[in-house]
Amino acid sequence: MYSTYPAGSFPFRFPICHLALLSLLLFWSCNGKRQEDASRETQKELVKTSVLADDTPPISGPLIEKRRAKIDSALLSRLPLILLEGVGIPETEAQKLAVENTLFTKNLLEEGTGKPYLNEIFNVYKARPQEVPQGVAYGNVYRVEMYNFGLNLTTVALVDLTTRKVMAVNELVQTQPDIPLHLKDMALYIAVNSPEVSRALGYQPGESEALMANTKTALNNTRCEQSLHLCVAPTFVQQEKALWAIVDLTELRLVGVRWTHVGDPGPEDKRISERNLRYDKIMECFCNQVTSLKKEGWELNYVLTSSDGMRISEVNYRGEPVISNAKIVDWHVSYSNTDGFGYSDAVGCPEFSQAAVLAVTEPRIVDIIENGTKKGFALEQTFNSKQWPMPCQYNYLQRFEFYHDGRFRIAGASLGRGCGNNGTYRPVTRIALYGSQNTVYEWGASGWDTWKKEQWKLQDSRTKYTPEGYQYRIAGTDGKGYYLEPGQGQFSDGGRGDNAYLFATKLHPDIDEGESDLVSIGPCCNNDYRQGPEKFIGPDPEDIEKQAIVLWYVAQIKNDDTKGSEYCWAESYLEDGIYKTRSFPCMSGPMFVPIGYQQPIALKSPK
Amino acid sequence: MNFRIEKKLLPLVLISLLFACEEKMTQGEIVQIGIASCRTVAPFIRKMDFDPKRTGFSSSEPNIKGIVLVQFPDDPGDTLNKKTWQDPTWGQYGWMGGIATDNKGNAYTAPVPKVNIFDTPLSRMNRIYKIDSDTGKMDLACTLPAADTSQGVVPYAVLGIYYDCHGSKLYASTVAGSTRDEEKGAIYAIDPQTWKIVDKLEGVDAMAVFVGGITGEKRLFYGSARGSAVHSVELTKSGRFRGKARFEFTIDQLGPRGDDKVRRLRLDPNGNMVVTGAEFNYSLAIQSHRIEDAYVFGYDRTQNQWVRLKP
Repeated sequence: MYSTYPAGSFPFRFPICHLALLSLLLFWSCNGKRQEDASRETQKELVKTSVLADDTPPISGPLIEKRRAKIDSALLSRLPLILLEGVGIPETEAQKLAVENTLFTKNLLEEGTGKPYLNEIFNVYKARPQEVPQGVAYGNVYRVEMYNFGLNLTTVALVDLTTRKVMAVNELVQTQPDIPLHLKDMALYIAVNSPEVSRALGYQPGESEALMANTKTALNNTRCEQSLHLCVAPTFVQQEKALWAIVDLTELRLVGVRWTHVGDPGPEDKRISERNLRYDKIMECFCNQVTSLKKEGWELNYVLTSSDGMRISEVNYRGEPVISNAKIVDWHVSYSNTDGFGYSDAVGCPEFSQAAVLAVTEPRIVDIIENGTKKGFALEQTFNSKQWPMPCQYNYLQRFEFYHDGRFRIAGASLGRGCGNNGTYRPVTRIALYGSQNTVYEWGASGWDTWKKEQWKLQDSRTKYTPEGYQYRIAGTDGKGYYLEPGQGQFSDGGRGDNAYLFATKLHPDIDEGESDLVSIGPCCNNDYRQGPEKFIGPDPEDIEKQAIVLWYVAQIKNDDTKGSEYCWAESYLEDGIYKTRSFPCMSGPMFVPIGYQQPIALKSPK
Repeated sequence: MNFRIEKKLLPLVLISLLFACEEKMTQGEIVQIGIASCRTVAPFIRKMDFDPKRTGFSSSEPNIKGIVLVQFPDDPGDTLNKKTWQDPTWGQYGWMGGIATDNKGNAYTAPVPKVNIFDTPLSRMNRIYKIDSDTGKMDLACTLPAADTSQGVVPYAVLGIYYDCHGSKLYASTVAGSTRDEEKGAIYAIDPQTWKIVDKLEGVDAMAVFVGGITGEKRLFYGSARGSAVHSVELTKSGRFRGKARFEFTIDQLGPRGDDKVRRLRLDPNGNMVVTGAEFNYSLAIQSHRIEDAYVFGYDRTQNQWVRLKP
């Protein structure tokens, strides 16, 4: 049976049974697509429940104490090395011969300082035939694997017990051997005793399958690609879901937890590692959705952008609108000894973004304490390069401060380290205040001068401030508004002054001049006012008196690596056998003080 | 005579006719694809004071935008004796990525963003430039089909470029217009004589592209930009795509990072696939030095599967 359709040059005949088949195929196809979409949505929901444990203090307990004591003891010994215990006589002998070999122990101490790295023998076993050099009988050759926690380095020795000689030593950079049993126990101990794991499972799991009949545990391999630490992932299976707990065995702490669906991992399936735990959580929870915050009289929304860092918006204080939106659109970094050398860094979401320096931690809300009293809270976000604090790697902090008295500050800091000790950082901050009838006033010799047209001004040695330290006033026709107090080193946060440009431009509701994500606004290395916002002023500046106004605040901060006065700087140092980071932030950014504020801040002497 | 063909069979008939016109390839010919090189040094380089044996194009010389001709020193560690030269046209289109050369010495490349897209906005990224083998001048050769440049799309376009000497086609993979949720990239097969796109594989975000015959078929291998896997699709002799793509192997969990993406694919003289892997997450994050690792896979033709040889 056929149903005939109009024909073209080729008569077109279509059997009804084929139509039914096609419909069925389309149904399967659409259904498959729906299932795929549903699965993706479920995965996204699971990602949102994952937890990053960056701010959680490391757990304690007898096993941890014992481990720390062993590390301390090893670091104090001539050979800073934890030997493998509980092995047979030949393994002990092989281990002994290996550690007597100077090539094998070449990297136990830091070159230059002689400080000890934390080293540990992970495995000693009879070498497999393929591991033995040609021409050598493999029966009495042992392989000794040592891990250097500080350098993330594996050193392997092949020891011939017959000749009592080390036959070969091989270094494997950024490589980790299989971990010994006691470190597996340690990983499980950290996981089961971490509150994040208990909270996720709904109870505290036992350390073995036998203890918890309904929970199966497994120790999966994983990676800590950001920290380059030794990490493993104890995994707890509950029905169709598995909870991955990533444990950092270098720092003896939990990195985070994440649920996944249990399935047969195919060759292309993604394993859970530090990077995708972090990236997926940040992307789903802070890049793809806006978070609302209501706290201590303040209400605001925030989101991580593709290239403009963290953006706050719809900020209200006690029901009064304050800021339409604010963000740092670019960090311009220039180096004075090389003309035109530097970077125009966009900061933002960790993947599928135009950011050069990435958000790899969640936003934080911290208390602002002054003289022992809580004065408000701050919303913070850091962005960092993976290899920070190595040279030419960057770390930036964005900090929005909100005070109980209605003041707010939009601040940023470089945490170093950059490409040299002669760098100048210029964060380009965009602040769109609420109000369509605002006017900018500048403090001058005769009081407040009105800015009638779009313009910019540099804060320098000739700048005049009110006795309270205010340089500008932004107010509506009703007289309400804010004083702008630029950084002069008075904020007790280590900042040494902003030397900032302030641009005021007219907000055009119909033209996007930075309301949405801005790709790089300007080049890295202009040493004058040409930092990008000037392009919104143009040759014929517009009238900005009683208008909706955008403020652009570009601080200029020189870095310093001089011992004792480091600024915008960071360095690695070896402590407890592993590398840690010390940073010297250079905070900048203006304070906005409500007009009519009753308790003006006394201007402190710049540091 | 009333000649009738079921309309639904029409595409099948046309495709069959098309492939029937394709000349057959011998096994000996196929297995040499990707191993036997046809590349020659450009005539303009031969006229210069550069040793052709150790001279090549580079797009990754520190602080030099665009393409640079480099004469590498005999000793790779001897950086002082590295000789470089750049024609004024080679730096005017911004930072460049992969470079492919053909049998006449022409070089092809495409822009990549470095740290930011200030130098090369997205609207000017989905392009291929050519350095002419005779004149040594670089010019726009081809603009790939326009992609979405609205907010949310990735800040990249062409990530992979490869010239197949056997079919005389240039393959370019682009991720322009892709977003986190939608893989909208494509691999184009381009005739560099006419600059016409002769075929395309859509819905694929690929980094490395390479044509080889080591599996017994002429195939385009490509490394995913979203995962660590290498897939392939069969090619006709003239270089058009045939059939569906298939999974070949993955470098997932290998190397120091464990989630490298395949940046480069090549067959060594022994027919082993040398895979260069590096970190890539569709951001503009920079590293102070290029961190890559090499992985080697061999093809077991008795089992029809890849075997990891290194590491």
